[in-house]
Amino acid sequence: MGNADLRQLAAIEDVAFDDLDGSVVAIDAHNWLYRYLTTTVKFTGSSAYTTGGGEEVANLIGTVQGLPKFLEHGMTPVFVFDGGTTELKADEVAERREQRERYEDDLETAREEGADAETIATLESRTQRLTETIRTTTRELLELLDVPVIEAPAEGEAQAAHMVRQGSVDYAGTEDYDALLLGAPLTLRQLTSKGDPELMDFEATLATHDLTWEQLVDAAILMGTDFNEGISGIGPKTAVTLLREHGDLWAVFEAEDCHVSNADAIRRLFLDPDVTDDVDFDTAIEPDIPAAKAYVTGEWEVPASEVERGFERIDEALSQTGLDRWT
Amino acid sequence: MFKAIVSADTLESALDSVSVLVDECKINLNEDGLAIRAVDPANVGMVDLSLAADAFESYETDGGIIGVNLARLEEFVGMADSGQLVQLELDEETRKLHIQIEGLEGTLALIDPDSIRQEPDLPDLDLSAEIVVEGRDIDRAVTAADMVSDHIALGVDTDEEVFYVDAEGDTDDVHLTLTREDLISLEAGEARSLFSLDYLKDMDKAIPKDTEVRIELGEEFPVKMHFEIAEGKGKITYMLAPRIQSD
Repeated sequence: MGNADLRQLAAIEDVAFDDLDGSVVAIDAHNWLYRYLTTTVKFTGSSAYTTGGGEEVANLIGTVQGLPKFLEHGMTPVFVFDGGTTELKADEVAERREQRERYEDDLETAREEGADAETIATLESRTQRLTETIRTTTRELLELLDVPVIEAPAEGEAQAAHMVRQGSVDYAGTEDYDALLLGAPLTLRQLTSKGDPELMDFEATLATHDLTWEQLVDAAILMGTDFNEGISGIGPKTAVTLLREHGDLWAVFEAEDCHVSNADAIRRLFLDPDVTDDVDFDTAIEPDIPAAKAYVTGEWEVPASEVERGFERIDEALSQTGLDRWT
Repeated sequence: MFKAIVSADTLESALDSVSVLVDECKINLNEDGLAIRAVDPANVGMVDLSLAADAFESYETDGGIIGVNLARLEEFVGMADSGQLVQLELDEETRKLHIQIEGLEGTLALIDPDSIRQEPDLPDLDLSAEIVVEGRDIDRAVTAADMVSDHIALGVDTDEEVFYVDAEGDTDDVHLTLTREDLISLEAGEARSLFSLDYLKDMDKAIPKDTEVRIELGEEFPVKMHFEIAEGKGKITYMLAPRIQSD
């Protein structure tokens, strides 16, 4: 999920939804879904999104409830899905799996001991995972709603960042501070929360600390990333100071007598990730709402009451024009 | 500098016509009167208002812009009885509006105009039909449509030379037809557009029942509704963006 300490270096300010009207946002689909799974689940009984066959599709409720926010503010989301997992990240995936298994044990114990609903809901939210069913059904639902979907060759967030650099979208949308390391010029955070989103500015971040892109990535490697443990005792401030003093990662290694293995490969994952220029999408969204409804409530057995309001909001947002169309 | 005395009724009608769309607005203090232009946050409904200096008992200003919280100002003005006068005076130093109604005095903190949404550009519209009706006709149409639906279609049938209103709900529908005889005037042209009743209901609230409303309508275009308050010294135009018609 990226190193949250990066926030201390990032140039971030609040931005009003009004100012985002008409923009196109490349959403890191997994990051967005994960957010919705952990929040939707908290307030929804698991029976609402578990099929008779035992498949959990909380993502369908999350998607229907999450999309209106973009559309009502005149924004077009483009969902970017992960392709293959980066080899180095496999470790992290394994670690998260282990942690989730621990939570699942906790959850089982809590249920056996008859813990209160809130405790169980919290534990349930921690055990959420992006199953193959979740990935597939989210894509299928987005297709019925005519919302653009892009398949990244590797990491979705790297592809989203690339699309902003390339100019095919205006913003990347992710909670992950790694968007900075990936060089996304403008990133929107807090898109799933109440209130205004945050705008994270790449160039402003570099300017604030007087760093180059490479140096920012080097600083992050010293602090620790998804792909490596940080050097003990080096936080954001020290990392920036060291980079300014010594120039690059290897000079810092030499001066501080420390080491990060695979540093060169990690650097490349941020500076030169596997991405594609071959992105083609249509920002005019014309959803087939009855078909999407049938898919969610019929095929996947989600009670209509859970998604009715969301579908109404999607329909409403897309059929009401704005006066600015005529100015 | 801004100092004015105005009847509570006039001020209330003017403010109401804006507050149905926005919570805050900029008021332009021009030498020839007040002017407000505002659009709701979703960019769907717009109001363009001017209240001429001669709508006031007295009116003095050397120009400027103030930002107000409409609900607060309306509360103040609401303290006046019908027929009473409201005296407004801008305190330049404290950026507050001093309000006096008979023996009642108060000050209202103003809002930094720069913090309020920018005034919108006027849409450039070429509308083919023009219908003049009484305010009560709009009220009747909106009330009828509201029984059955969230949307309302307004149109002109050029063959029959009628202005019509359609509302279709999931189960019920209503249809209202006004012929040339029922209307104050009609310039027929091909026109039909669908609108959100939520907005039209709010606008309807601010349109006096006994006033003439000039409606400009087009084919899948925003509608314009013009009417007057304060014996013609206040002019208000509403603009409402259409919904996309699915069929």
